[in-house]
Amino acid sequence: MDCDAFREEMMDLLYEEAAPAVARRLDEHQAACRACRDELSSFRRLRRHLASWRTPPDLGRVPRRFSSARPYLAMAAALLLLVTGGLALKGSELRYEQGRFAFRLGRAPEPSALSAALAAQEQRHRREIDALQATVAAMSEKATLRKVQRMIEESEARQATIVSAGLTRLEERTEARRQYDLAQVGAGLSYLDGKAGLQAARTTELMGHVLQASQKR
Amino acid sequence: MAPSDEELVEQFQNGDSSAFDVLVRRWERKVQGAIYRLVGPGEDVRDLSQETLLKAYRGLGTFKQEARFSSWLYQIALNVCRDRMRRGRGKSYVSFDELSETGDTGTEPGPSALELIEARDLSRQVAAAVSALPQEQREVVVLKEYQGLTFLEIAEALDVPLSTVKTRLYRGLGQLRQELVRQGVRGGTPVPAPTS
Repeated sequence: MDCDAFREEMMDLLYEEAAPAVARRLDEHQAACRACRDELSSFRRLRRHLASWRTPPDLGRVPRRFSSARPYLAMAAALLLLVTGGLALKGSELRYEQGRFAFRLGRAPEPSALSAALAAQEQRHRREIDALQATVAAMSEKATLRKVQRMIEESEARQATIVSAGLTRLEERTEARRQYDLAQVGAGLSYLDGKAGLQAARTTELMGHVLQASQKR
Repeated sequence: MAPSDEELVEQFQNGDSSAFDVLVRRWERKVQGAIYRLVGPGEDVRDLSQETLLKAYRGLGTFKQEARFSSWLYQIALNVCRDRMRRGRGKSYVSFDELSETGDTGTEPGPSALELIEARDLSRQVAAAVSALPQEQREVVVLKEYQGLTFLEIAEALDVPLSTVKTRLYRGLGQLRQELVRQGVRGGTPVPAPTS
């Protein structure tokens, strides 16, 4: 066995996985070759160093979501199936109409019962309409006019109140605006006045210097 | 006598879901250890372990026992770690600061303060050196050195020939030796390359 062959098989020897015959050949080679013997020794030392890195004891247990979930899921599915099947057999119904869910427990009414219910509903509506018509007919024409007149007057009063409130708000806003504009004008005039005064003072001072210079000459 | 992995897999496939619990109890800690060494400490280890076991649970029903259960389980764990590291731009997540705080150095009871510090330093240096290995070499080193898989099991888990496993391990160990020497670890002096 040469050194290249030894290196190819060395990992088996290092991890004690070499077949007996291979291990014997490797041992024979390393006994005769110092370089290969030293390399195997250095790898053995390295393995001792590597063993110093151990996992921390507090890695924690992995939550058993997968194992415990199964029976509960199966039970939940079975329960759901049972309830759904029972309701279906009972003739219950879940409907979605006009943005709302409607759930009916039990079987739908038979066609004859439905017709009877509709007929009763129609009769009730008719009775209510007849009663309203009778009330209107009982009122005299004058009474109706008085009632309409009163409604118009109430409406006009409401409109007048609204207009009055609007005018008041408009007046307040106009007055506030006027005050603001006046203040702006006043500030502008003060500014201009200040600038003009400053300019006059500078001119007077300049003229003083000119006069003094001319007198010295 | 405890049932073998293969027997438990068969029981699970025949409808006994409690067999999976036995498998989890048997392999959970080992899978966590491998993931810890591949991606580093942190909350990721628990998440990735759970993801691994969940995938195993989902796939066990159709698992054909052409490979060992352990190889198949480690294969799932490796894929989960690779996915996570790909999302993290291929970087290992080992944090050396965290290792120095939480790492179990494995020292015997009653070491001196100096020995304790040295052991912690060595543990941190080893962790850093392993995490600096190329991914292919790191996987082989972790599976062989820390998980104790046979070369055949590693070949099955990685789906590569036996010779590739041994070559990656040889190169990985060589690089680790070089890195530890660079970090000043005593006793790791490399020897000259053998000449025939």
